[in-house]
Amino acid sequence: MKKESLWGEALKKIVKDKISLFSLIVVLVYTIIAILVSLGVIVGDWHQTVGPNYAPPSSDFIFGTDFLGRDVFKKVIYGVQVAMSVGFISSMISIPIGVVLGATAGYFGGVVDEIIVWFYTTFSSIPTIMLLISISFILEKGITSVYIALGLTTWVHLCRLVRGEVIKHKNRDYVQAVTAIGGGHARKLFRHIIPNVFHVVIINASLQFQVAIKSEVILSYLGLGVQEQPSWGKMINDAKQELTSGYWWQLAFATLAMFLIVLAFNILGDALRDALDPKLKGKES
Amino acid sequence: MRCFLWGILLTSLLATVSCTKKGGSTGEKVLQLGTPAKVKGFDPIEASDLYSGNEVARVYEGLLQFHYLKRPYELVPNLAAEMPKVSNEGLTYTFKLKKGVLFHDNQCFPGTKGREMVAKDVEYSLKRLADPKLQSKGWWLLDGKIKGLNEWREKYSDAEKVNYEEEIPGMQVLDTYVIQFTLVKPFPQFLYAFAMPFTYVVPREAVEFYGDSFLNNPVGTGPFMTGQYTQANTIIYKKFHKYRDEYYPSEGAEGDEAAGLLKSAGKKIPFVDKIKVTIMPESQPMWLNFLKGNIDAMAIPKDNFNQAMVGGVLNEDFKKKGITEVKKVGLDVTFIAFNHENKLFKNNLKLRAAMSLAFDREFMNKNFYNGISIPAQSIIPPNIAGYIDGYVGPFQNFDLEKAKKLLAEAGYPEGKKLPEITYHFKYDTTGRQNAEAIKQMMGNIGINLKLIGVTWPELVKVVNTKQAMMYGMAWGADYPDAENFLQLLYSPNAAPGSNGSNYNDPEFDKKYEEAVVLPDGPERTKKYEELYKYAAEKVPLIYGFHRVNYVLEHGWFRNYKFIEFDHGVAKYWDIDLEAKDKLKPNL
Repeated sequence: MKKESLWGEALKKIVKDKISLFSLIVVLVYTIIAILVSLGVIVGDWHQTVGPNYAPPSSDFIFGTDFLGRDVFKKVIYGVQVAMSVGFISSMISIPIGVVLGATAGYFGGVVDEIIVWFYTTFSSIPTIMLLISISFILEKGITSVYIALGLTTWVHLCRLVRGEVIKHKNRDYVQAVTAIGGGHARKLFRHIIPNVFHVVIINASLQFQVAIKSEVILSYLGLGVQEQPSWGKMINDAKQELTSGYWWQLAFATLAMFLIVLAFNILGDALRDALDPKLKGKES
Repeated sequence: MRCFLWGILLTSLLATVSCTKKGGSTGEKVLQLGTPAKVKGFDPIEASDLYSGNEVARVYEGLLQFHYLKRPYELVPNLAAEMPKVSNEGLTYTFKLKKGVLFHDNQCFPGTKGREMVAKDVEYSLKRLADPKLQSKGWWLLDGKIKGLNEWREKYSDAEKVNYEEEIPGMQVLDTYVIQFTLVKPFPQFLYAFAMPFTYVVPREAVEFYGDSFLNNPVGTGPFMTGQYTQANTIIYKKFHKYRDEYYPSEGAEGDEAAGLLKSAGKKIPFVDKIKVTIMPESQPMWLNFLKGNIDAMAIPKDNFNQAMVGGVLNEDFKKKGITEVKKVGLDVTFIAFNHENKLFKNNLKLRAAMSLAFDREFMNKNFYNGISIPAQSIIPPNIAGYIDGYVGPFQNFDLEKAKKLLAEAGYPEGKKLPEITYHFKYDTTGRQNAEAIKQMMGNIGINLKLIGVTWPELVKVVNTKQAMMYGMAWGADYPDAENFLQLLYSPNAAPGSNGSNYNDPEFDKKYEEAVVLPDGPERTKKYEELYKYAAEKVPLIYGFHRVNYVLEHGWFRNYKFIEFDHGVAKYWDIDLEAKDKLKPNL
């Protein structure tokens, strides 16, 4: 009997479901856009005036123009890069922290566990938005501090989950087998346990991605986020005053762009969990 | 007690009657005003905010006031019979008071009859302002100016009781109606103090009779008097029937005649029988009340500008209802400052001029000031002596080619070789958009600005510690004297003083020092005008705008003219009852 790998099977499941497939495509398209913008291939000229200010959406400017006559479409596209990079880099910071701390706490238990649990419980009792604001204040304002601020504040949930999973796994037969043949702690933990709990990390990352995107928008709205580049948060902030004059397009398109990616990541997160979590296996079909 | 209850019953009855009549007038002229802040009470020395000052000024009066119609702003006598005589090289000011000015009838006077106001009252009121026990926020007005007053204040700061009988060398009552002030050094701006509510005249009897509740029991000489002030949301004033003979001015500024502002010329003031001031902290309820005709006039709230004015013209619908607009030109200037201690800008006129030329004021005006503000050519705003109407500075009007040329001459063709220039601004939506627009404009000539949005306290801090390279700010007048604006460029005022750009130009300083000690007059105006031009030619700052808004008034409101220092001007306002009966039901 031919046995597919866990990942191959998961991908197959996602592709079979239309909504999940759509989400995957959205995420891929956003990623490609983000890469192209980062490489400077597209919308490098977003800051140029292309027409009259506040031109409504038309065939010339499909998303309209802003108060300086800049193309809102280009700003939205540039915003994709800002959002995706924030999601990606902050995840790259928070995942290692969460996994290492969670795995260490779960595996060693005892005093190590107590210290780490105490640390993240205390840490998570600080309101996230306050913590974000204070970190952005300490670091110089700009996109780098957004990466760091979000990276440093979003690891707690993952840490908890990984700790739980590791506790569950550490006395399983396969781990005891490793002990029996003389495997050390590091080998047991990194070679054997973590790969077996990694689906938790993947599912969590896709959810964390959209939390990071939303947080960036909030920070930029408050003026603590990106300074020089366009961002959806800044566009929504502009709209706060423009709406009374009937200029709705910055708000509408920035919100739409954000809505799509956040929704896609949510659905994808669910689909990944369904596909990867062994506990849910066999419940469907 | 019984009397008090009857009073309540009567007032509520009146209220009901006027409600049921719906729009019909009772033959009584009632001025309906709104104010956005709670009033701190009616003690002149406590009137440190604009709104308390406005209320105080209905009941009390000062020795001087600003001419209601004339512009530039001009001081004219109010309780004084004439403008004071200045002698002894600007050190001595002799005020002669009007005769027959009566205080309001009040139980604090024997027989409840208000007595005549005399020079002693002026002395007493100024001593109250200086009283160390009362801790008035208006003390800065007199601090270090009148001979012996600081010593008097100092002497009693730890004493149990302040001795008001003690004579102060610089404040002499020469006879019943004459008071003389002697200053420590010449200070031509001294006179403005007498037009501010802090120095308004109060009778000693009332202060002593009411004690702590003097705050709620105003007894002045003004055109209006209050009943008991209850600190509720409405304050009602009644006309003071024994108000001395004062008349509406017969001269005005250009255009006042055409605007109908001289129709009441020479008539006895005040015109209205009652003033009803309603306290409404939020602008939306006030706006809705205005639209219903419950408030006679108000400035257009920012968020409603587009509802009221379409393309700079009053909405047709408003016009049909008889509403008209009055332009409000504020005494202020916005600017983008260079830090002149930074060697990039110091003595680099060409770079500064290039940046000023790249700044498109027309675009900014259209997008940030509804297209109605006045692009500034220099530092002095309109309506003050020193401002030159029609003057166009050499580097103030948008000219991209010239800007590029000057930048190249400065040694930075197309912005090459320029270090990174940072621009600090107060972060809010408008502030950021403003900064983005400035960045774009500077980008047009190749200069890259790095924007740094900060909170207001942070901005003040970076400016005061000379850390900002460039920043955006505005200055509003304390009094209508160009000195108040020119001092922004005077080098001894460098940060943390008001010269936050640290502009240091010995020639400017010299001209400034010569001008500010002169008394008001053509000679000083000429010097101010020279400084105005000099401040445009040297581009110490990139000047932005003198900001403008509109006040809307109903068709029955008469004689309204915008005046920056509007204390006590309600005495000139009138209500046309016939017009009100016609217009109000259609609102």
